Amino acid sequence: MDALMQEFKTAYSAEKGNDLAKTLSPYLPESPEKLRSIWESGDSRTIREDLEFLFTQGNPARLRLSREESGGWQEVYFAYWKALGEILAVEGQRTDGVKSTWTKVYESWKVFTNSLIRGYTNCEFENWTIPCLYIAGKYSRIFAMRSDAERDANGDDLGATYQDEFDPETEKHKSLEDCGRQLNRIFNTCLSDRAPLSESRKWGIYYAINLLFKTYFKLNQAFLSRNVLKALSAGRGDMPDFDSFPKSQQVTFKYYEGVLHFLEENYEEAEKHLEVAWLLCHKDAKRNLELILTYLIPCHLLRTNTLPSAKLLEPYPRLQELFGPLAEAIKKGNLRAFDQALQQGEDEFVKRRIYLTLERGRDICLRNLLRKVFLAAGFTDDDPPVRKTRIPLAHFVAAIKVSDGEGIDTDEVECLLANMIYKDLMKGYIAHEPGIVVLSKSGAFPGSGL
Amino acid sequence: MSWASVPPPPGIQRASYGYTQTTTAYTPVQVRQGFSQPYSIQPQYQPYAAPANFPQLQPDPSAYPQQQQPVGSQQQQKIDWPESVRLYVQRSFETKNLLPDVTRAEMETKLKETITYAKDAGIMYTTDWDQMPLPQRLVQAERQQALMGAMGASTMTNAGAVIPATAPANPKKRKSSDLSEPDQSAPMAAASPWRNTKGLSLQDRTSKPSNGKPAKMDEPLPAKSKSQKLAEKRQRRFDGGYQSSYRSPSPPPSDGPIAGTSTVLEKRYLRLTSAPKASNVRPEYILHQTLDLLKKKWRKESNYGYICDQFKSLRQDLTVQRIRNDFTVSVYEIHARIALEKGDLGEYNQCQTQLRALYASGLKGSPIEFKAYRILYFIHTANRTALNDAIADLTTAEKEERAIKHALNVRSALALGNYHKFFQLYLDVPNMGAYLMDMFVRRERLAALCAMCKAYIKTLKLRYITEELAFESDAEAAQFIIDHNGQDALEERDGTIVLTVGKAKQHFELARKEAFRSVDLKGQI
Repeated sequence: MDALMQEFKTAYSAEKGNDLAKTLSPYLPESPEKLRSIWESGDSRTIREDLEFLFTQGNPARLRLSREESGGWQEVYFAYWKALGEILAVEGQRTDGVKSTWTKVYESWKVFTNSLIRGYTNCEFENWTIPCLYIAGKYSRIFAMRSDAERDANGDDLGATYQDEFDPETEKHKSLEDCGRQLNRIFNTCLSDRAPLSESRKWGIYYAINLLFKTYFKLNQAFLSRNVLKALSAGRGDMPDFDSFPKSQQVTFKYYEGVLHFLEENYEEAEKHLEVAWLLCHKDAKRNLELILTYLIPCHLLRTNTLPSAKLLEPYPRLQELFGPLAEAIKKGNLRAFDQALQQGEDEFVKRRIYLTLERGRDICLRNLLRKVFLAAGFTDDDPPVRKTRIPLAHFVAAIKVSDGEGIDTDEVECLLANMIYKDLMKGYIAHEPGIVVLSKSGAFPGSGL
Repeated sequence: MSWASVPPPPGIQRASYGYTQTTTAYTPVQVRQGFSQPYSIQPQYQPYAAPANFPQLQPDPSAYPQQQQPVGSQQQQKIDWPESVRLYVQRSFETKNLLPDVTRAEMETKLKETITYAKDAGIMYTTDWDQMPLPQRLVQAERQQALMGAMGASTMTNAGAVIPATAPANPKKRKSSDLSEPDQSAPMAAASPWRNTKGLSLQDRTSKPSNGKPAKMDEPLPAKSKSQKLAEKRQRRFDGGYQSSYRSPSPPPSDGPIAGTSTVLEKRYLRLTSAPKASNVRPEYILHQTLDLLKKKWRKESNYGYICDQFKSLRQDLTVQRIRNDFTVSVYEIHARIALEKGDLGEYNQCQTQLRALYASGLKGSPIEFKAYRILYFIHTANRTALNDAIADLTTAEKEERAIKHALNVRSALALGNYHKFFQLYLDVPNMGAYLMDMFVRRERLAALCAMCKAYIKTLKLRYITEELAFESDAEAAQFIIDHNGQDALEERDGTIVLTVGKAKQHFELARKEAFRSVDLKGQI
């Protein structure tokens, strides 16, 4: 405990936020000996007095701690000490042999997090100490997930509810849901600070938001992220410039913002944000780049009807596997190959939530096929020759039959063509009775060079 | 009807149920003579739960205002007893009506209960007291019922074919009552997997709550907790005219599930605001009888308000007792089907959510049927996230099942704007999926018409539209077009009716936008 306080004092007097946060790390594998000695140096009967002594008698003048602030930190370290006890217990590292559960760890860490938040709202904690909040939020999420997993594995029954309107899905993530609320408090603690920017907690906001996003996505409640964005844009006026936040936070934020738009089928916005993330992302962060591309590629397919080049995909074998066959089928206008590729990758696509988007690539595949029919019709005998624009419906039927391989009748082909025209992928009109398709003389297939 | 125009107290569903029907399934004669029927219900004084089959209960709409009397003052009020009630009391004490095996005290208690109930429920003036069974008879019937219950008799005596009240309107669709339900009596005996997995029997849990004290539901309680008091206060505010202001103290929330002791088959649904009382909760064997009764009633009367309410209380009793077995599944399935048939998406969705969890825990039922509905439902609500999850839930084998394959094909047809395929699928829907497809067929027709109007030149024959968009007849198609302001675009040429696409286009575009914007997510009835 003494050593820990020494670290606190050093970090505090130097105003080093990250060092200060390290004194509150609950990460056991890094320094099990150290954490255990902290735990064992405390005694539940005297810990409060001990802490008070260390804070008030141990050279307070050098630390410039006000009475409130000192009291706040005492609370924080008290809660930290208790949480350590649970962590050591759950890992079976307690010498007294006491056992615990991850749910208890989560709860004790929650108390710790709350004491920290109170420190900011009531005890004048300064903004350079924000990394402590990061630690609190980060491990809150980790402990919550372990707690949920543990309950799931034990098959514990929670339902204290007597209503049947509860969603069993959310019951399964009870701790993580609770964690979402804690993170939201951290977010609001940062957001609501009215101090001048130089000493504002607003600098912690994107770290908090990114944690929240991660949590909401994990909970399958991505839509809740909307509220965060709303609150953020409402307070944008007195926010530091986005560019001045750490790049890592910028990339993560833009990625989630992009995916959020993607899930809402707002591909234009999604493309914008994902592109920013793509450009900012560190070149060696392969995993992150891959994640960004997973959503950026379908965006491009739908928005600009473009496919990734082989060179772009080269460093990402997983993406090659994911998008390669589809891209090939689309290029060739091969409907059957497209359907097969989509089916082959279905599980993976569904998991990444891009299946429903990629499916719409079939329109582009079909467009390419119809374009081939148009090309095959050739030119008129005029001088100079122009492309034939009146094409019998039967030709399209034949082409789709060959490409699709399934029985398809004229009515369905007409329907598909009507859709192409409706979506502006093809220009022209269908004359139903004579069974003729008349294509536009200029730009029959917009954006495809014809 | 003046009854319906009076706003019901908040928190209580407005529903007139079967009470407004003058022909109830149970006449007092049956109640008096047919004690062998385990499900005949006796009036009891119960807060919330009106005895469902209060004999000869015939509320007269004009008498309704009496129910609005301030509740709190009722206890002290001087009551002007109607003549019929006096006579009823008199009759009860006539020597020739006394029964040897019913004590005077028992009888008096019952009598008081019956009249108090009638008074509190405001039906004193509307009850036919001349036909009301005498208290000694009621006591006897109750004993009989308890005996039957103890013996676990669940056989229904009222066998016999029941003819649905109305012929199906659309032969395309199956009715919920058409579906052959598996025999429910078998799984009853088997312990639920829930109990097995916990390694603790229901008995263990109820008798050993975590505080170590034996749980006695009828034990007098120490001071109520603050939240409990608040809950009761809140409850009182919402209670309106349905009960007296007095409530017996409710037990503290127990840690384990409770075991019900009520043997009343029917029970009105009320959202619980505190821990349930065992005496108001029906045990599983009674619930089996309830389900049988409800199925019969549904086939016979098709009174959805009543059925929905009863199913909700049935589900509630299952939930509070943590009964999760094949019987639970069948309750949710049947309620889901009935809700579907009536287009009550709110209830349907609740059932669907529970069913998903029940199937996931390995219980039997008709997962294929309901997984297919689930997909169709999310198509209707245009919930992409949920749709994605629904697909993720499917196994490869399930994707090959006819109903699920159909639903997936519907989805992909719509995603690709393939209205031709969509309407072919609409004409051939497995199970009751057509009720769900009906919900979004209008907007898809509009979408298809928009595409047609843009892609075709000049005119389209009405016949073609009828066939492509699966209308029943040309007349129905024409009506659909007229309903969306397309009358000017319809004209007759050479003996056939055609649609001038240029004229109709804007109308359909407008209607399409409107239709796709307002997807009613929780359309609860």
